[in-house]
Amino acid sequence: MKYWKYLICAVLLIVAVSLPKFIGVYPLQMANIILIYMALALSWDMLLRTGQLSFGIAGFFGLGGYATMLTSTYFGFNPLLSLMAAAITAGLVAALVGYSVLRLRALYFAIVTLALGEIFRVIAQNLEITGGTEGMLLKQTMFKGDAASTYWVMLAIGVLTIIISIIFQKTRIHYASTSIRNDEIVAASSGVNIFKYLVIIFAVTSAIQGLVGGAYVQLYGFVEPTATTFSINFVLMPITMALLGGLYTTWGPVIGAVLLSVIAESLKLRIPYGHLLVYGIIMVVGILWFPGGIMGFIKKMFKISNQ
Amino acid sequence: MLIPCGQYKPARNSSIRFRDLITMINSILSKFKQKNFLIGFIIIIAAIILVAIYKPNVLFEGLQRSALYALIALPMALLLGIVDIVNLAHGEFMMVGAYFAYFMNVQFGMDPIVAVIPALFLFFLFGILVYYITFKHIIGKEPLSQLLLGFGVGLVLAEGITVIATNFPRKLGLDYVSSSATIGGFTFGTFEFVYVAATIIILVGLQLFLKKTDTGQAALAVGQNPRGAKIVGINVQWIYLLIFALSIALIGAIGPLFGTRYTIFPGVGDQYTLKSFILVAVGGMGSLNGVVLAALILGMAETLVLSSLQYGKWADIIYFALIIGFILYRSHQRQVK
Repeated sequence: MKYWKYLICAVLLIVAVSLPKFIGVYPLQMANIILIYMALALSWDMLLRTGQLSFGIAGFFGLGGYATMLTSTYFGFNPLLSLMAAAITAGLVAALVGYSVLRLRALYFAIVTLALGEIFRVIAQNLEITGGTEGMLLKQTMFKGDAASTYWVMLAIGVLTIIISIIFQKTRIHYASTSIRNDEIVAASSGVNIFKYLVIIFAVTSAIQGLVGGAYVQLYGFVEPTATTFSINFVLMPITMALLGGLYTTWGPVIGAVLLSVIAESLKLRIPYGHLLVYGIIMVVGILWFPGGIMGFIKKMFKISNQ
Repeated sequence: MLIPCGQYKPARNSSIRFRDLITMINSILSKFKQKNFLIGFIIIIAAIILVAIYKPNVLFEGLQRSALYALIALPMALLLGIVDIVNLAHGEFMMVGAYFAYFMNVQFGMDPIVAVIPALFLFFLFGILVYYITFKHIIGKEPLSQLLLGFGVGLVLAEGITVIATNFPRKLGLDYVSSSATIGGFTFGTFEFVYVAATIIILVGLQLFLKKTDTGQAALAVGQNPRGAKIVGINVQWIYLLIFALSIALIGAIGPLFGTRYTIFPGVGDQYTLKSFILVAVGGMGSLNGVVLAALILGMAETLVLSSLQYGKWADIIYFALIIGFILYRSHQRQVK
């Protein structure tokens, strides 16, 4: 029954596309948030597959957001074009920066990405044209705020991320990244061009993060450097989601994003202060006792049932 | 008989002296070649003197600021530099210590400076607890999970405090904090010299611990090669536990000192984790003096930029750019390029 997988995917896609017909505006907004976090979690996981831990999600997210805001304010780009601009800006910056930063060892790479995000934030906070500490307002959000069209754009970004992730899993990039993660020296001596693959993957994942940032700005219509656009939440939540769902898989971060977004939304009402505590506990427990996440659990179940 | 001897002796002595001189010069020259340490030191001294002439306020302000940075970075230098454990929840432990002092002050009227002593003991126990629950299971495995675990523990601490105390910013209203002195034409705060004193105490204490005691030597050995240390009969697990708990105890005790002067809120520790890590990376893994020196440079540079009205808001970016430059320059690079 090899085609079941494709059938399930097709049904899911049809359900996802026709969702605005069945549900109201608030659940649709929830779906948008889920898709945003899903794309971030998946892109972070795609880089982690090469063994590079990045804390720069928020940095590139904010960079894309600002690119969208600036291009649509000053050059009058239409929303979709400004999203493209966001993705290209984030991807280009990541490629340029990655060219030197990706030479660093894991620990230093992680910290430098965190510092990079801070640098982007300070620049955005201090320049005149980005609106300083107050941020900026978008004149008109995407499709004049039409919920269904906005949702379809978000869905397109989500599906695009999943497709890129699957491409990364099925082509030779998968073997390259897995070998880099396991042992760089062995990978290099087997003829894998480590640096080339790292720069490509870093640029692609950052472009996705920039695209999502742009979409976020188009959705909410504002940028603000300190608390929103470069918020540490955009680092924490995707990482927790990927950990919960299962690292190094495509569907793990997707499952994690759906579950945690729904949980977070209901927790927000019950514990107004510190609902992120649950995220921290999930993170710690996940790393210590369930390194495989939900996908690891499912795989184990399938293995047992096959035997 | 005597004369040749007499002639011989001074000749020998002078030759030894000459050789000593050459070896000494050589060693100094090689030190210059290897580390550029002295050159750097002279440049720093010259820069500090220039700053002192240009803006005397910056000198005091910068000294106090860099002392605070060094103070917060030293426990991390102990943990990361000596035994190679990354604790990204570093700043959050300090934040919890500051809240501890705050509530001790509000509830029992205890002075935050006095609260350092109970904090030291409590956080030692807390460190042991945290070690047994979390870090014990992850040491020696891939470094990525250590980073993530630290991140998670930090999140739990910060959000736990948010649940208990909300994220309302708090500040202790202490009189002696704003004490000041006037020398010549300008006035400066004197209370912040507490940070300088604490830094010196902790630095000297840690150096003595690492150099003079058997446990300290064992910790250095574990840091160099855990397996080798195990083979020569060092109880590696115990050393990890001790150093971890010591680091947490120190950073927890720094919390009250931090809380005396600065406004505290659950997210306050975040940036200090980053800054401490950076100082340890810049100062050199395993070198406590290097960390203090790095703190001095970065603290002074930051204060100098902050003191300018026009460019003051760019201070952060200089800090981070310096860091990225330093980390790239010092080439903490992967083995395969």
